[in-house]
Amino acid sequence: MSKRDFSDLTICKDGQAMLAKAREDGVETVWDRKRAQEPHCGFCELGLSCRNCAMGPCRIDPFGHGPQRGVCGADAHVIVARNVGRCVAAGAAAHSDHGRDLVETLHAIGEGATGDYAVRDPEKLGRIAEELGIPAEGKDVKALAKAVSERLFEDYGIRREAPALLGRAPQKRRDLWKKLGISPRGIDREIVEMMHRTHMGVDNEPVSLLLHAARVALSDGWAGSFVATELSDVIFGTPTPKVSQVNLAVLKEDQVNILVHGHNPIVSEMVLAACKDPEMLKAAKAKGAAGINLAGMCCTGNELLMRQGIPMAANHLMSELAIVTGAVDMVIVDYQCIMPGLVTVAGCYHTKVITTSPKAHFTGAEHLEFTLQNAREMARKAVRMAIEAYGMRDPKRVSIPGSPVPLMTGFSNEAILQALGGTPAPLLDAIKAGQVRGAVGIVGCNNPKVKHDYANSELAKELIKRDILVLVTGCATVSTGKEGLLMPEAADMAGPGLKAVCKALGIPPVLHVGSCVDNSRIIHLCAVLADALGVDISDLPVAAAAPEWYSEKAVSIGLYAVASGVFTVLGVTPPVLGSSTVTGVLTSGLEGVVGATFAVEPDPHKAAELIDARIKAKRLALGLSA
Amino acid sequence: MKSVIIRPERCVGCMQCMIRCAEAHSQSGVLALAVSESVLAKPRIHIGVGPELRPFPNKCRHCEPAPCQEACMPGAIRSDIAAGLKIVDLNRCIGCGMCGMVCPYFAIRYYPAAQAPGHGQVAIKCDGCFERVARGLEPACVEACVTGALTFGEVNQHMNEGVNRLADAAFGVTA
Repeated sequence: MSKRDFSDLTICKDGQAMLAKAREDGVETVWDRKRAQEPHCGFCELGLSCRNCAMGPCRIDPFGHGPQRGVCGADAHVIVARNVGRCVAAGAAAHSDHGRDLVETLHAIGEGATGDYAVRDPEKLGRIAEELGIPAEGKDVKALAKAVSERLFEDYGIRREAPALLGRAPQKRRDLWKKLGISPRGIDREIVEMMHRTHMGVDNEPVSLLLHAARVALSDGWAGSFVATELSDVIFGTPTPKVSQVNLAVLKEDQVNILVHGHNPIVSEMVLAACKDPEMLKAAKAKGAAGINLAGMCCTGNELLMRQGIPMAANHLMSELAIVTGAVDMVIVDYQCIMPGLVTVAGCYHTKVITTSPKAHFTGAEHLEFTLQNAREMARKAVRMAIEAYGMRDPKRVSIPGSPVPLMTGFSNEAILQALGGTPAPLLDAIKAGQVRGAVGIVGCNNPKVKHDYANSELAKELIKRDILVLVTGCATVSTGKEGLLMPEAADMAGPGLKAVCKALGIPPVLHVGSCVDNSRIIHLCAVLADALGVDISDLPVAAAAPEWYSEKAVSIGLYAVASGVFTVLGVTPPVLGSSTVTGVLTSGLEGVVGATFAVEPDPHKAAELIDARIKAKRLALGLSA
Repeated sequence: MKSVIIRPERCVGCMQCMIRCAEAHSQSGVLALAVSESVLAKPRIHIGVGPELRPFPNKCRHCEPAPCQEACMPGAIRSDIAAGLKIVDLNRCIGCGMCGMVCPYFAIRYYPAAQAPGHGQVAIKCDGCFERVARGLEPACVEACVTGALTFGEVNQHMNEGVNRLADAAFGVTA
């Protein structure tokens, strides 16, 4: 593969350099494995394969030559809808189980069962308690933590009619959900019901399956992910704006480099504390290192970046290439989006991979199980091992490309409101005046089927030019950050209206609002804006996009956005094209039901056109200028 | 003459033909067991990747005269095992790679084979499933293909049907 080919795979210079080094070092990456898998199974790409029972597996021939029904008799529409349902269930399960770990942490704090974790934002805990109808008066932080966590535990069960924070959705929207029978009840309940419905011989009507999929997704967006975001803020602090750095050059040649990868700040925050420990620093210096350098990958990186300003080394597709620098002494992972191939790549260098969650073991990695009682000690143990690994580093194999790019982070809704002076009114005024024509969340992943970081960053550039404010989470953060879009200076790349607003507030035109569970911040902000205008979310000039999505979680996020009334553009076709019914419902039928649909558009410039047209239509309907 | 007829435009790239080809040429002949044999069988049909990732099924055309046969020094590629087929005699193949170098269709691969003496690396190519066909079965790849990209039939009959389709098209009749 020539250098030119590497530039076909990723727009990032650091990525291209490391792909070349991977080739020299004989290291197989996600792109090599993707190539080896091609062509992918045509039935699966169309959603036409079913593995749900042992009468099969079955496939439906999309050309009409072969079978048109599975062994059970399910046709293409039922099979595709069942597959979508299970995909959403898996995505919602991932976010929500992540949230559950935070409820358990808050509960342990309340019970006095952990010495390692505490409440860093008691005011936010108080506000949530009030929202839940739990009187804060006369309760200390521990008692409040216990009461709030006990109410949120119930969000996962079957004992409540609605999750605790559902009242944040506009009344109109909640009434609509009720009318459609898709108001989320309990998180686990909706997921379990989806697994039940998609068992052979239960729900065999594609629209019914899709409506329940929406209910599952809503239990993620308005409950599971909400819980994860809100309690992470309570326990680790609500993010405030700050400047940090991004790309592989945040690794330091003369320091012990530790990367945290995965999703939950429960692990990464403890690792951060251990990295700052003077005793650890002394041990690192004794090994000849100038210090201990912690950087993030994927969403746990986003969590540390938002709250602590810890730099980001890489997003999803770059996670293996970070190790290829030869400068990473340890990768500490928890769960989700950690490619098993990472361990193989680490095996080509001196890099140690440490797993920490009882839910996520990796063959070839070393397991240090973090619990609420031992996390601090385990983190110190891991850091000590990293210092040992530093001693094994081969300087001849180290190559850290380029130099870091600065980025601004920390835009929690609280921080955004504060930047606006305490109320959403200035933002609404700017929207009404057409200075900010609308807002778009660019969320989600990387996917080797898309040129790495191209679609995420190109869409952001195209939208800000059109005076559309962009909010980013997850791996799109790194895509846009590396292009300089997350700095206030990027206002110069925006249209005149957005540029003026950004300059006045000193903010970038692309705001980093967090990790993938933090898409709940975006949906919450939509609800706040809709309430302030007295309209439904579907009336707002907003949209969502997942240009490089790959994961089941992204499908759940996309569906809760659509079911909440937000038009959503996907850059990668989901496996639904085998059913004209399912495709039709998702891309047009839902408009008349929930006031939004999906669209699929791989070209970021054409995606911007679609979004622009949508925002124009919504603005005109609100009586505003286009 | 019966042959495997390939319609690439119908291929969805499921690679079921490859799996079933390997299964048919394994020692057990059963997928569940074939995947754990000590020397794994290999497929003799391959799915290439065309523009926009369009799949392209490709296999030995059993040419006559056959460049592979002409290049084969030990005479391992034989015409006398089954009529119309060029079959590699694994007892004679020395794995030199000459046949692959001259094959105009890139239809030959080199792998260790359980059936070769010493399990050495030998030329692996389509044998027309002559043993299955003798038992009245279709070639394994054809049996596996659910979209009709691979069919087994008389080449002349296929040509005749093609002429009729061509005639329809020429006179503006759509199917």
